[in-house]
Amino acid sequence: MLYEIRGLKKIYNGRTVLDLPELSFEKGKIYGLLGPNGSGKTTLLSILGFLNTPSAGDLFYNGRRVSFTEKFLLPFRKEVVVVDQHPILFSTTVYKNVEFGLKVRQVPKSRRPGIIEASLERVGMRDFMHARGGELSGGENQRVAIARALACSPTVMLFDEPTASVDVNHQIVIEEIIRNLHSLEGISILLSTHNLSQAAKLVHERIYLFEGRASAFTHENIYHGPLVNQGGRRYCLVQEKYPFPVNRVEDGPVKISIDPASIEIRKVENAAGKSEEWLHGRINQLTLERDRVRILVDVGVPLNIILDAEAYAAMNLSIGESVRIRCPEKAVAVI
Amino acid sequence: MQFFQDSFFSAFLLIRSLDPDLLNVVAVSLKVSTLSTLIASLMGIPLGFTISTTDFRGKRAVITFLNTLLALPTVVIGLFVYMFISRRGMLGELGLLYTQEAIVIGQVILIVPIVTTFTISAIHRLDRRYRQTAKTLGADRIQVALVLLREARFGIMSAVVASFGRVISEIGISMMLGGNAKGFTRTMTTAMALEYDRGEFVLAVALGLILMSISLFVNVMLNTIQGRAIS
Repeated sequence: MLYEIRGLKKIYNGRTVLDLPELSFEKGKIYGLLGPNGSGKTTLLSILGFLNTPSAGDLFYNGRRVSFTEKFLLPFRKEVVVVDQHPILFSTTVYKNVEFGLKVRQVPKSRRPGIIEASLERVGMRDFMHARGGELSGGENQRVAIARALACSPTVMLFDEPTASVDVNHQIVIEEIIRNLHSLEGISILLSTHNLSQAAKLVHERIYLFEGRASAFTHENIYHGPLVNQGGRRYCLVQEKYPFPVNRVEDGPVKISIDPASIEIRKVENAAGKSEEWLHGRINQLTLERDRVRILVDVGVPLNIILDAEAYAAMNLSIGESVRIRCPEKAVAVI
Repeated sequence: MQFFQDSFFSAFLLIRSLDPDLLNVVAVSLKVSTLSTLIASLMGIPLGFTISTTDFRGKRAVITFLNTLLALPTVVIGLFVYMFISRRGMLGELGLLYTQEAIVIGQVILIVPIVTTFTISAIHRLDRRYRQTAKTLGADRIQVALVLLREARFGIMSAVVASFGRVISEIGISMMLGGNAKGFTRTMTTAMALEYDRGEFVLAVALGLILMSISLFVNVMLNTIQGRAIS
């Protein structure tokens, strides 16, 4: 097992930001840490990258219990590299940036140019070797940071929101680089993202974090609003307009999460049943995720719906098409 | 106005003639100021780095104390050091009073707080990701420190240049601890004060012009460094 977590907690100023009783990561896989902002993804990655000390609990790396002292962590850090969401390059050339990890590992000077060029070649940044860090765009910065990490020959790479700050072109390139790092270099990868579509394309295993805890639930389609009664049923009224049925008797505002795989979607002409149960919307985006299709519908609020590929093919939906959707009570969880 | 013009004209001639007395005073000034800046940098940079990168109880109090020392008058430092190195003082036997070494000691005390606080500020301003990046790439404590010093180099260089500017233009310490002995401890500022007392303005104006030129040079350097740090 690559990592094993037991009773791990991180507390900042009296607030528990991470609370993981048990969690493990196998070697040789791509793991996706999913969850909304503030769910503890970055904190977990920084602990797994040996850059942050947990407040309580144990972490095992390759079967060895990790003692969070500088001396003990140093050899581990030489195997595990974290690539930040907004990586910073040292104020020197791209070449010198990539050389840094080789210097600290005392790689002979004669071997360095070959490794640096190969690493930059892998991320398509060889032509920028002599450029300075400040001259690069966000996406190029991210690629150089990956090359800099790759030059260190890590066995594990941890990516914090690797494509959050780059344009679509760079997003595709970086996803391809990450895929290749795993398939060609055999590097175990953990990446945090709140882009579910990216996770679906890239990762083998998904771990959902919500408010610092691992959750079995995907926590997609998160909204909040007051609870209201309509026709003897309880609804969460999102943006004072859009009712989603909930199974809850208490009053007060609630936060809900709607399971995208449990939402019903119909073409306008096929929407049978009481009209008030159906919300009207328009398809904004269709994304193929291996054997299923993610449909982003604008019903006044953006709503993700997942259909398996067969159901999608049978419905023959297209972007811009008007649809009706219905959320059964079982699809809505109060969180 | 005539007096003003005559003084400046004579001062220019004195500078152009490379008057030995004038050159000696300038050399002594540059020597003690450079030496004290060097020693203060060797003490203040590591001290500032350690304070800014280490968490300890009373850190805030230490920084406040250092900031207070920035406003310490030179005559107060002169007086304290005098009490230590005068014949009746604890270090009286070393015979340091009225030597260039005494001036250097006083000037080091004057500018160590400047170098230290500027270094603390330069390291504090650094993006925390530099440290995290160096660590995750496998750097040990010393290698991380070198990365931070390198990234803060413009701020630290500014500290050194500003400190030099402070000591080259101070007078209290040089006068009280150096004694203004001709050829030995007479610096530009003490010589100017003496010439003023004697009503001899030519040498005083010449030294003033040189001092201003040095100050201008120091400020140009400081601006260049700060400009590079911003760009």
